[in-house]
Amino acid sequence: MSGRYIARKLVQALVTIVAIVLLNFVLFRMMPGSPERASKNPHLTPEIVAANRVKWGLDKPLIPDQLINYVESTAAGDLGYSIKYRGQPVVEVVVDAAGPTVLLIGLGEAVAIVVGLWLGARSGWRRGGTIDRVGNALSLVFYSMPYFVIGMPLIIVFAAGLGWFPTSGMTTPGGNKTPVEAIVDLGRHLVLPLTAVALGLIGAYSILMRSSIVETRSEDYITTARAKGLPDARILRSHAFPNALLPMVTLIAINLGYVVAGAITAEIVFNWPGLGTLTVQALDARDYPLLQAIFLLIAVSVVIANFGADLVYGYLDPRVRA
Amino acid sequence: MTHVEDRAPGYARPSAGGSPASLPTPASIRGRRQWPLPKLADPAAPLLEVEDLTVRFALRNGSVKAVDGVSFRLDDGEALGIAGESGCGKTTTALSLVRLLPANGRIRGGSVKLFGIDLVPKTEKQLARYRWREISMVFQGAMNALNPVRRVGDQIAEPIEVRLGQSRDASQKRARELLDLVGIPKQRSTAYPHELSGGMRQRAMIAMALSCDPALVIGDEPTTALDVMVQAQILQLLERLRHELGLSLMLITHDLSVIAETCDRVLVMYAGKVAEEGPVSRVFTAPRHPYTRKLLSAFPNIHADRRTLDVIPGAPPDLRTPPPGCRFAPRCAFAMDVCREVVPPEVRFADGVRVACHLFPTADTAPLVAASGPTAPLTVGRPADGAHEAAPWIPPVEDVPGVVAAPQGLRRLDEPAE
Amino acid sequence: MSVGTGVAGTDRATGRAPGSLVRAGGFSRRLLGRTDGLVGIVILLVFGLLALAPTLFVGPLENLTTTSGIPLQAPTAAHPFGTDELGRDMLNLTVHGARISMTIGLMATVITILIGSLVGIVAGFVGGAADTLLMRLSDFFLVLPTIVLALILAPIILDVIGSRAQLLGIRSTLLVIVIVIGLTSWATTARVIRSQVLSLKERMFVDRARVIGSGGGWIMRRHILPNVMNLIVAQAVLTFATAVFTETTLAFIGLGDPSAPSWGQTLNSAQAAGAPGLGAWWYIVPPAAAVVLVVMAFTLLGNALDDVLNPKALSRR
Repeated sequence: MSGRYIARKLVQALVTIVAIVLLNFVLFRMMPGSPERASKNPHLTPEIVAANRVKWGLDKPLIPDQLINYVESTAAGDLGYSIKYRGQPVVEVVVDAAGPTVLLIGLGEAVAIVVGLWLGARSGWRRGGTIDRVGNALSLVFYSMPYFVIGMPLIIVFAAGLGWFPTSGMTTPGGNKTPVEAIVDLGRHLVLPLTAVALGLIGAYSILMRSSIVETRSEDYITTARAKGLPDARILRSHAFPNALLPMVTLIAINLGYVVAGAITAEIVFNWPGLGTLTVQALDARDYPLLQAIFLLIAVSVVIANFGADLVYGYLDPRVRA
Repeated sequence: MTHVEDRAPGYARPSAGGSPASLPTPASIRGRRQWPLPKLADPAAPLLEVEDLTVRFALRNGSVKAVDGVSFRLDDGEALGIAGESGCGKTTTALSLVRLLPANGRIRGGSVKLFGIDLVPKTEKQLARYRWREISMVFQGAMNALNPVRRVGDQIAEPIEVRLGQSRDASQKRARELLDLVGIPKQRSTAYPHELSGGMRQRAMIAMALSCDPALVIGDEPTTALDVMVQAQILQLLERLRHELGLSLMLITHDLSVIAETCDRVLVMYAGKVAEEGPVSRVFTAPRHPYTRKLLSAFPNIHADRRTLDVIPGAPPDLRTPPPGCRFAPRCAFAMDVCREVVPPEVRFADGVRVACHLFPTADTAPLVAASGPTAPLTVGRPADGAHEAAPWIPPVEDVPGVVAAPQGLRRLDEPAE
Repeated sequence: MSVGTGVAGTDRATGRAPGSLVRAGGFSRRLLGRTDGLVGIVILLVFGLLALAPTLFVGPLENLTTTSGIPLQAPTAAHPFGTDELGRDMLNLTVHGARISMTIGLMATVITILIGSLVGIVAGFVGGAADTLLMRLSDFFLVLPTIVLALILAPIILDVIGSRAQLLGIRSTLLVIVIVIGLTSWATTARVIRSQVLSLKERMFVDRARVIGSGGGWIMRRHILPNVMNLIVAQAVLTFATAVFTETTLAFIGLGDPSAPSWGQTLNSAQAAGAPGLGAWWYIVPPAAAVVLVVMAFTLLGNALDDVLNPKALSRR
């Protein structure tokens, strides 16, 4: 992969990140409860207002001073203090909550990619037949369900109903667990939320992969492969799949934003202590610095993930590497 | 009265190397093969014998017989060209030999005998064994016919590894040798298809087609997407390979000059049926079927007087509802009543040419033809004064050796009636 | 190599671009002939009816003071869908939810399509710097998930329009959702429309109009717009599905209006009341099923429309 390709994609990613930071800056000024707006509160005397303005650096010109100030502090990791969490740096709060979310999304994507792509490929390669039709219908249903809509019935059936899994949370409270016990406990709590996230994704991925394979199937090089007398499975594996995978990489990358959003909702249902639950708490408490930090984190992660996807695409498709 | 010889000169004559004497004999070809003949093969049988092949496509609103009762034969070391307009069924015929039809196509009748082994009743699995090892293909527009995300060398080595069970290294080595054979530097084997020029990709396709040392290579419009210079190179390559390896070729193309240059025999197809078939030297100099004659005269002749392009007015028939009788009748300058009602039977001449046209009737159809009257030709958009149309002409009996005597009462259409 | 050439049916005869809605004669037949088109339309009609006149079917929306049943009661004959934690009849809630959810969806779709089509047509037609700029902008919005942007934008917009504002009987909190969805989802539509415009630009009739001297705006309106209409229609239907989906999610997170029980809002209440843990499936299934059915129906219909209005050539070797 040429350095030029990587550099180009990197620059694009950086530009987007800069745009996000700038957007954040603008929004921060407009947020209700932001220092800007709080100073418009009619109950405060002009002296207090003026003093506040100096304190928060609002007396300096918006651009470039406030902007530079903002960018500097953001880069340094200072995103303000949480209202809800009584002055704890927002960055700390967010990072604490990010771990469980990453775990959930990471595993969910991994499972969904493996299962969804395989299902879609099989279904698209051998079209027709009841398995294909049923699989397609099921995929469509899951594709239309927000993750929390998948999650709630799961809880009702498997947790509240059958009692196989706990109904909420990431760990069972109470200390003194051995490492093995802790892992098993985590696992038990992980199953349902993971299933919810994975099912939604599998629905989307298998439908998309299926149509990608169907399109690939009619390409000329597949006819060549058939003419070579190669076994069907080998044609799928070696010729169709790698080519059908290419648009999927782009789609998976684009989808990442939605996955994050959806995972947030799934977390709410399962009381999973990640960014989702944090978001709801922040909304309830009107904790705007916190909300803003979550936004920044998620947006930047999505951009970085997209960049990663670009790299993967470059690895898979020799035609774009120039 | 124009003489048929005058129409021939636009094309290169079949090269001297094409005469039977210098080509390897069937025995030597079969002896030279790296792999023995298939177990069921009959050593005495011709390489390929297709009899009465019929292929049907199921469409959304009906079905189409894209190939309707086509027969031909190919011997070891021969090069057969299949010519015709788009949609005449030539590609379908070739694809159906190794059952590479799309999902809605099926062979509905006839036999395809490879060394005497009929491939039609074989199951997909059985048939796959013959693919590439006995019959391989070179497709047109090799940009997409090669997998864009895999290296060229790998793709050539793939059938060697998978079908012939060779080791990875041995296959790669052989792949490089094949590239060398077709004139591509060995180190290009690590290239991807998009990194090669159009001509090189086509050569790579040829190398790939040769990888299992097949008896027959089918080329489906192998030079169509290429410019003229590269086209010539590819044809030269094919000729060379034919002689060096004793390869048998089937070239499908709408470009008659390619056939004239490379092939021994030619099969002219129209609307799913065989119009005319025979040695190139005979068919191109003394074409018999009106369609063949039109095809040949549609080519600008740089030696002849300047005249406007002689096109065939009208369009091929809709094969969902093919016309009764001869399918070319609606566009034929020589059409008679009988042509619109009765399918013309095949007639075989002593010089090896087969024709299916009522102008050359059999003993059975002769009475029908005699009873039929010539009618004014039905052509769409045909100029009234006929200035663009060379005078309709039927070769005198003496010019065509062994022809069945033309029945009495048959006359040229531009002659006034008595 | 196509089989059966010589069949008529070129659009050169009419001079219009293929797929024009003018060929409406066979259109309904073709659409309804497909399973996905048929299923989609049927489901949509059912929910559309419910949404237009919910009072007709289940009576006025129950609220705190007019509850009709015991809290959190499983389905009985009197309450076929059970009750929520306030004692309100679930069937009543769900049917009224149809009106709210689908109205919001509709309004959001209108905004999305307006912005998306405008951007797409201008970017595709004008090209050059404007195109690059608009596409960079749409890439930005494509990358960022709607939900995340909504979290930030919602409070701001709410502040801007004031919490007492009302439009068509919809309170500001919901208006916010409409605006937020509209502002963040236009990117896909813009991209799709832009590709179509780009390929239309190549067509001859645009050049002809240019030669006559028509101005850019006129060409855009008279020539490009009609031919893009098909695509816009198909996109609109698909966008509706996304809009309902997004609204449900946003309401579930808590950005909705508690007094306007859209399906997402009802699910939010269900979650707050602990319904999943209590096994109160009747509280969850009706609104959830409704959302899924509507989203599925619009997706199916959108795909069917796309196929029928913009047929891809049946290419065979």
